[in-house]
Amino acid sequence: MAIGDATARTNPPNDDGAAPLPIVATENATETTDGGIDRSVHPSGIVPTLQNIVATVNLDCKLDLKTIAFHARNVEYNPKVCRAVGGKEIVKTDAFLHHSFHQTFRCALLNKQRFAAAIMRIRNPKTTALIFASGKMVCTGAKTEALAREAARKYAKVIIKLGFPAQFKDFKIQNMVGSCDVKFPIRLEGLAWSHGHFAQYEPELFPGLIYRMQMPKIVLLIFVSGKIVLTGGKRREDIYQAFENIYPVLTEFKKLQLESDEGDAGGGAAGAPKALPAPSAKRGRKPKA
Amino acid sequence: MALTDALDEMVTARELTPTIAMRILLEFDRCIVKELELLKQKTTFGAHLHTYRFCDNVWTFILENVKFKATNYSGIVEEIHADKVKVVACDSKILERK
Repeated sequence: MAIGDATARTNPPNDDGAAPLPIVATENATETTDGGIDRSVHPSGIVPTLQNIVATVNLDCKLDLKTIAFHARNVEYNPKVCRAVGGKEIVKTDAFLHHSFHQTFRCALLNKQRFAAAIMRIRNPKTTALIFASGKMVCTGAKTEALAREAARKYAKVIIKLGFPAQFKDFKIQNMVGSCDVKFPIRLEGLAWSHGHFAQYEPELFPGLIYRMQMPKIVLLIFVSGKIVLTGGKRREDIYQAFENIYPVLTEFKKLQLESDEGDAGGGAAGAPKALPAPSAKRGRKPKA
Repeated sequence: MALTDALDEMVTARELTPTIAMRILLEFDRCIVKELELLKQKTTFGAHLHTYRFCDNVWTFILENVKFKATNYSGIVEEIHADKVKVVACDSKILERK
């Protein structure tokens, strides 16, 4: 990836005569290999990085969240929260609040917002778990499937240590989020226009284009910058497949550069259809005409 | 802490009823909050968070390597270092609502 772009960038920005070099550069950009990428799986040469994995597991025993909140570390549990009244907090001594009769008074506090789960965090793997009284647990934030499982196991261990007969049943990955950068700008209007059935682009509501792929069933957020977010997958392969599906489309709608950077000839080589010239392309050519 | 200990002792010795003890604590809270609001002096501190807990509207933090910075009345900045500090905090508006 980087090689092609680097050559393009190191070129001095020339206006008209720079046609041949940028073509080479863009071709490189789509075909560069970084070491260990398996081209049969990733023909684009780009591997989306997994950013978040959400998994659920059933600990299969009723949990007393209050006990968990009091005895485990790094837990938030407030079934009766009044977060609406934020702001100043007063600092008190420890024994003062943990006092037996003082507790009754604290329990009588007002309730406005409530979330039924206890929120627990661990540092390694850096994840957050939502623990429900039913024994169901949601573990989020892991970067790989293995780390998600490891984290869920650690949470289960913490709960077992607190004296609950927790098991580890039905571990399942529910969602995966990946992201990558194609390193070229994209004409979202054009893409939205020609893929109207799957694409939704409302720049006033959200700057990215929302692409709901059917096979595999993945939602893609495509940004002008060329940054892509892929979500909704349950398997790593789905994320990869979705990216490989969309990549040719993205190159098709590559935004033509203004004359300063790669030159418009390079952009044209990527195969933008003549029927849908990019607005930026028009702007880029006008000064010459 | 001393106050709660004293009150606790008195309650166990049946010199006070728990209701009165609670009332005293409540009054203490109210006064402290009042005084803290009047206080102009500011103290800042930075630390590494070791553990936190949020339960029943009470935050408990265990901090490591804490550095307090306080300006005293003569305007000199004082720095205090502590290896470990436990902070227990709650919403100051609790008393107003009561």
